[in-house]
Amino acid sequence: MSGPILHTKNITMRFGGLMAVDQVQLKVFKNDLVGIIGPNGAGKTTVFNMITGIYTPSAGEIILQDKNINNERAYTISKLGVARTFQNIRLFKDLSVIDNIRLAGHQKLTYSGISSILRTKNFKEQEEKLTEKAIKLLKIFKLEDKKDFLARNLPYGKQRRLEIARALATDPKLLLLDEPAAGMNPKETRELSDLIIWLRDYFKIAILLIEHDMGLVMNVCERIYVLDYGKLIAEGNPSEIQNNPKVIEAYLGTSEVD
Amino acid sequence: MSEDQLYFFYDLFQYLLNGICQGSIYALIALGYTMVYGIIKLINFAHGEFYMIGAFTGYYCIKSGMPLLYAFPIAMLFSGIMAVIVEKLAYKPIRHAGRIPALITALGVSFFFQYFGQMVLGAAPKPFPETYEDYNLLEKFGITEIIFTKTQAIIIVSTVVLMLFLRWLVMSTKVGKAMRATSFNKDASELMGINTDRIISFTFFIGASMAGAAGVLVGIYYNTIDPMMGLIPGLKAFIAAVLGGIGIIPGAVLGGLVLGVVENLVVGFWESTYRDVVSFGILILILLVKPTGLLGTKSKEKV
Amino acid sequence: MDYLAHLTLNCGIFIILAVSLNLINGMAGQFSLGHAGFWAIGAYTGAAFSTFAPLPIPDWMNLLVGCGVGGISASIAGVLIGIPCLRLRGDYLAIATLGFSEIIRLIIINMDVVGGPRGFTNIPKWANLGWVYLWVVITILVISNLMKGTHGRAIISIREDEIAAESLGINTFKYKLLAFVVGSGFAGVAGALFAYSQQFIHPNGFNFLWSVIILLMIILGGLGSITGAVVGAIILTLLPEVLRLMGPTISEWRMVIYSLLLILLMLWRPQGIFGKHEFKIFSLIKRLKT
Repeated sequence: MSGPILHTKNITMRFGGLMAVDQVQLKVFKNDLVGIIGPNGAGKTTVFNMITGIYTPSAGEIILQDKNINNERAYTISKLGVARTFQNIRLFKDLSVIDNIRLAGHQKLTYSGISSILRTKNFKEQEEKLTEKAIKLLKIFKLEDKKDFLARNLPYGKQRRLEIARALATDPKLLLLDEPAAGMNPKETRELSDLIIWLRDYFKIAILLIEHDMGLVMNVCERIYVLDYGKLIAEGNPSEIQNNPKVIEAYLGTSEVD
Repeated sequence: MSEDQLYFFYDLFQYLLNGICQGSIYALIALGYTMVYGIIKLINFAHGEFYMIGAFTGYYCIKSGMPLLYAFPIAMLFSGIMAVIVEKLAYKPIRHAGRIPALITALGVSFFFQYFGQMVLGAAPKPFPETYEDYNLLEKFGITEIIFTKTQAIIIVSTVVLMLFLRWLVMSTKVGKAMRATSFNKDASELMGINTDRIISFTFFIGASMAGAAGVLVGIYYNTIDPMMGLIPGLKAFIAAVLGGIGIIPGAVLGGLVLGVVENLVVGFWESTYRDVVSFGILILILLVKPTGLLGTKSKEKV
Repeated sequence: MDYLAHLTLNCGIFIILAVSLNLINGMAGQFSLGHAGFWAIGAYTGAAFSTFAPLPIPDWMNLLVGCGVGGISASIAGVLIGIPCLRLRGDYLAIATLGFSEIIRLIIINMDVVGGPRGFTNIPKWANLGWVYLWVVITILVISNLMKGTHGRAIISIREDEIAAESLGINTFKYKLLAFVVGSGFAGVAGALFAYSQQFIHPNGFNFLWSVIILLMIILGGLGSITGAVVGAIILTLLPEVLRLMGPTISEWRMVIYSLLLILLMLWRPQGIFGKHEFKIFSLIKRLKT
């Protein structure tokens, strides 16, 4: 049996004197659906930023399929099969919906700038294939009727969906979702839960997600890591986490009652 | 020590002295750049023009018979007022549109003053009126190899006085505290009851009046002023501000002095035509090697 | 007639400059204030080629080689300046490129072989209206076709959101540099064409003011729109002439009017006349029909 896809060995991030993330160990296996929870400022997004190469860890190692990726840049990590969404939605707002998806296929295209200038056959064929693939993906996310809209004109929930679709268009092995349910109503959140599980099975990928909506996390995730003040304070399956006194303390504050 | 060596040291000393004078003027202009950048993150391209406005205000005041001692504060006041007007009319409405539109507006304001000045004041350089007899202060002590004029003394003394005043203003007064708070976190300052709009205007006022003072000093130093005079010293002062660490007040002073000295050494020991090449070279070097400047500290962009 | 031809020719050269700067500033979102520097490099290398090393071939072939020399020299400068500078962002990049273009100009002033402060004289008149507009067409075609492929999309993604682009596997630095090099290359071509049509060039003709005027052209048209850049270049090349027709006083106030225009444009419509979008005559006709 193969080892984990992603293994962070004691990764640490210091900003000046602040320990944003302190020796965090995570393991994500193939087809895993893992959640990271924790109060605001616990360092969850910082972990994502380290995994995706936006920050370089101050200490520790990030191992992606037996390869240390500590010093790789974000675009290389994407090529190695990690895709992500962002807490505050980072779509290419002035591009059309389909161009957002097409951009994610960038690394799969092999034609040169010259052949795009000369509109060669190779250019046209690859672009056609790219478009087909993009439309297929948009259909899955029920966005194909909006394909020529500017991303900025989509309603909020559809923007979130488009961002996930865009991440999937890079053909990742590991998908990181940063608060996918933020700003959604309960109905949308339920749909999202089903979608996340379905995506994992359909695309055969591992998903690591940060979420504040406990309902979603407990429904969807098979394993959960809990961060507090940059430290990993618990890990386990949803029922273990729900009954872990440390977790309850982190969320509800220290109880002085003995 | 041989005579050659002696003369080399005389030269060196002379260029250092000239460099400090030139650097004081850069420092005075750089202060405004750095204060404005510190508070609203705008590279105020038009800042050099307030220096030009100060020089012309001083010129017309003295021309009309006013003594230098009165012309000086009036020039500072007028430059400051112009800066506040510009801030209210041009910068404030686009403060939220992002840094690049603000930068473009500043470019527009800069060109506006240059060319409007040319049309109204005339493009030809004007001789700055002499108000006193200039002489070498060192002659009294029997030194003639090095020249340190009364004007140079005035420049250095006024710069020091203005900087002490500014330090007192920023560090020890209530408005200074509000300025520091606004530059640290504008929104939080607003919640604390600071009228940040007024503080920003005040920052423009102080910065531009420092530049206005530099304008008068340059007038009495080089004896000639023209509407385009703000462009190059403006850029140089910007280099000085970046060199010292933009947004950091002591950095502007340090950067100004270093730049002034380096430029004069280039002129003295190399080729005067390379002076500007070296200055821009310094700018690029510092941007690439340590964009936060000599006195700056590192910070990370939040994602 | 000569006057009109001269004006049309200038329009062409500024269209090339504006469209190429638009690739850097409008498409890639990398705010350069140094376009005049690359223009100068193209003009001076092109002029040097025609004066010191013209090939024994017909003039029109020499013109093409000269444009190549100017374009390639400017692209090489674009690589050399872009690699260090494009790590900077926003206003810092603007200042660094401004610094470099001033350095370029000051070095030219100090170079005696190319005339130094006296300017470069007696450049052969190889270019005419036809050749200039051939290059206008080439510039527009190359840049607009490039923008329709994945390289162009990658360039635009940098403007839109650099961090998102990186996270999707786009080497943003590479594409910033591509935009910068292609843009500066075409500025170099414009320089060579300028030299071969004016027959005299002077370092101060490529100062900071010109970088700002080219910038004003693309802002007027709308950053990111090729059609906007073309329209902006035409408007700002013709505007001084129109102002001249309105009498000597207004003509003298030209630069004041320009700077007010820049300020007012930022206040009213910071996205320019066309915004980021292309003006398509067909879609307009379609819209009018329905």
